[in-house]
Amino acid sequence: MKELQELAAKLLRDQNVQVVIGYEDGPAGVRPAFITDANDAARLIFDPRCVHNLATYLKPQRKHIAKLGKIAIVVKGCDARAVAGLIREQQITRENVIVIAVRCGGVLEKAPAKAAKKVELTEENVSVRCAGCEAREPKLYDYIVGELPTEPPVSSQRAGEIAQLEKMSTAERRKFWDEQFSRCIRCDACREVCPMCFCLQCVALRAQPQWIDSSPTPAANRAWQTMRMLHQAGRCVGCLECERACPKEIPLGLLTRYVAGVVDQRFGYKPCDDPSVPAPMGEIKTDDEEEFIR
Amino acid sequence: MTNEFLSHASLSSLIAELVATGTRVIAPVQTEDSPDRLEYKPVCSLADAALAAGQPRLSLKELFLPSTEVLLSYRQTKEGVEIREVPTQARPQVILGALPCDAAALEIVDKVMSWDSKDELWLGRREATTIVSILCPVEDSNCFCTAVGVGPDSVRGSDVFLTPVEGGYLAEACTLKGQSLLEGRTADHADPEAIAEAEKAQSAARKKVQENAPAIPAGFSAWLTENFGHPVWNTMALRCHGCGACASVCPTCHCFDIVDEHENATEGVRRRNWDSCQTAKFTLHSSGHNPRPSQSERFRQRIEHKFSVYPRRFGEMLCTGCGRCSRICPGGMNLVEIVGGLISLSASNSGGAGQ
Repeated sequence: MKELQELAAKLLRDQNVQVVIGYEDGPAGVRPAFITDANDAARLIFDPRCVHNLATYLKPQRKHIAKLGKIAIVVKGCDARAVAGLIREQQITRENVIVIAVRCGGVLEKAPAKAAKKVELTEENVSVRCAGCEAREPKLYDYIVGELPTEPPVSSQRAGEIAQLEKMSTAERRKFWDEQFSRCIRCDACREVCPMCFCLQCVALRAQPQWIDSSPTPAANRAWQTMRMLHQAGRCVGCLECERACPKEIPLGLLTRYVAGVVDQRFGYKPCDDPSVPAPMGEIKTDDEEEFIR
Repeated sequence: MTNEFLSHASLSSLIAELVATGTRVIAPVQTEDSPDRLEYKPVCSLADAALAAGQPRLSLKELFLPSTEVLLSYRQTKEGVEIREVPTQARPQVILGALPCDAAALEIVDKVMSWDSKDELWLGRREATTIVSILCPVEDSNCFCTAVGVGPDSVRGSDVFLTPVEGGYLAEACTLKGQSLLEGRTADHADPEAIAEAEKAQSAARKKVQENAPAIPAGFSAWLTENFGHPVWNTMALRCHGCGACASVCPTCHCFDIVDEHENATEGVRRRNWDSCQTAKFTLHSSGHNPRPSQSERFRQRIEHKFSVYPRRFGEMLCTGCGRCSRICPGGMNLVEIVGGLISLSASNSGGAGQ
């Protein structure tokens, strides 16, 4: 913790960056922090409550943050994949951001407002995304801090969800998702918090032609969520921010995790924090199996 | 407006009779997946309701302004366009165990809904609804209803107000609608002990909220208007994602978008859907120009509308201090902190409040 605070203070003092985006204790739990003064660097923290993926703040839409100047950003392994994704897809340039990686021992499924400051991760409270995490020590960084904590427990709560989903017949699955999507109000919170949803003009906002009705009708909700997932295939970093932000508690993480599994199976690709590794949808191979794309 | 005693048994039979005669009764209920999570939902009996057990995740707004609804349907014929409007009369309903912040919100939003043109759908549903509120147990440190002129024991927007006491409730009929609902149900006079018990609970709840935030000073609205260009709007907006979850859960945010959707070549519907000033699309012009180009302008809009624009036009704030926006925000924006920060800035007027 001290190492992180001192590093942030030094970067600001030396004017290497104008803002350090990290985590702090807010009035109701941990939240993103924007440190612009070296004297405030002592507010920075990192522990299992730091669930947020801060890489979202690097998206080109966040003009009000870019205005502050050069950014240093605190990332866990899963967040580093998002920074790599933004570099890979040419939304930011590597040299314009200072990446401060933290060695991570897993985070909570939900960041509870009232939780004590010290939390022990258990099978019940650990995020499902931490199971078997290969990025606890990120490779994409300018600085890396902390010691590598022990491996997190595996979520017992949500481990079997994907298998359950796969066991369903098509009709059952359709029914399940139609019920879930019936709650969707198309507020687009899932898109706005997603680090990889950075299209300046999202297809869901197009009015001429209107590809997807803006009303939260069953057909439009299904179209929106399906389309978002197709656009995320091989790009989603699995941070589960969409699920966390949904005011209607739609289990969007089930979709992202399922799609990630399909991409891994078909293309042998898992999103990683090396921006030079091409994503399956972003690369053309002259020896591709599929004739139509060669 | 008298305080009368309403026993559990009497309330229970009232609910049973209402349900039996076709009145929809809505109350906070525990959701299937989590007993800690409450939602306002139709109930069949008093036993289904979780009264004064906490704050339902979403406010009462959706019952009066659904997230999507059809306003009219149209059909093109050889003679012209046939338009069919939806009925504006609603089925009678009773909301049992409404929180005072949610009940007050309806009365505040009534003002804009009956302003230059009458919103027949909103007003029709309001007319058909009787609201029975209950003393709020106060959720957490995000609550600040007393700072915006509401309170855990506020009767605003309620037809009946209940305060739990030994064996039942102290019931106050606040309107004629409330009086007729309670008629013949209550013991005429509550005993002084019950009244004392209720008053004690009310002042304890009030004190609990007051500790969270001081009352918003009279000059706040004017200060906001004068400081439209203040740099604080950018520093405070940094962590805002612009996702609009705050507007979805807000009991007073009422903006909507109207769209025409074709069902086939000759038929279609006109719908209205919830909208939020926190998204870029809200003010995007067809030319491509956006007068609120970044999140700082959109965040400012939310605060200005609630604490300056609405007070100027309608004489009161567009916020009941329920704290839902702070609880739902994925970026950790906190309205108690934001308003508190702006108030101290207005007091010092020195500028430059940072993060």
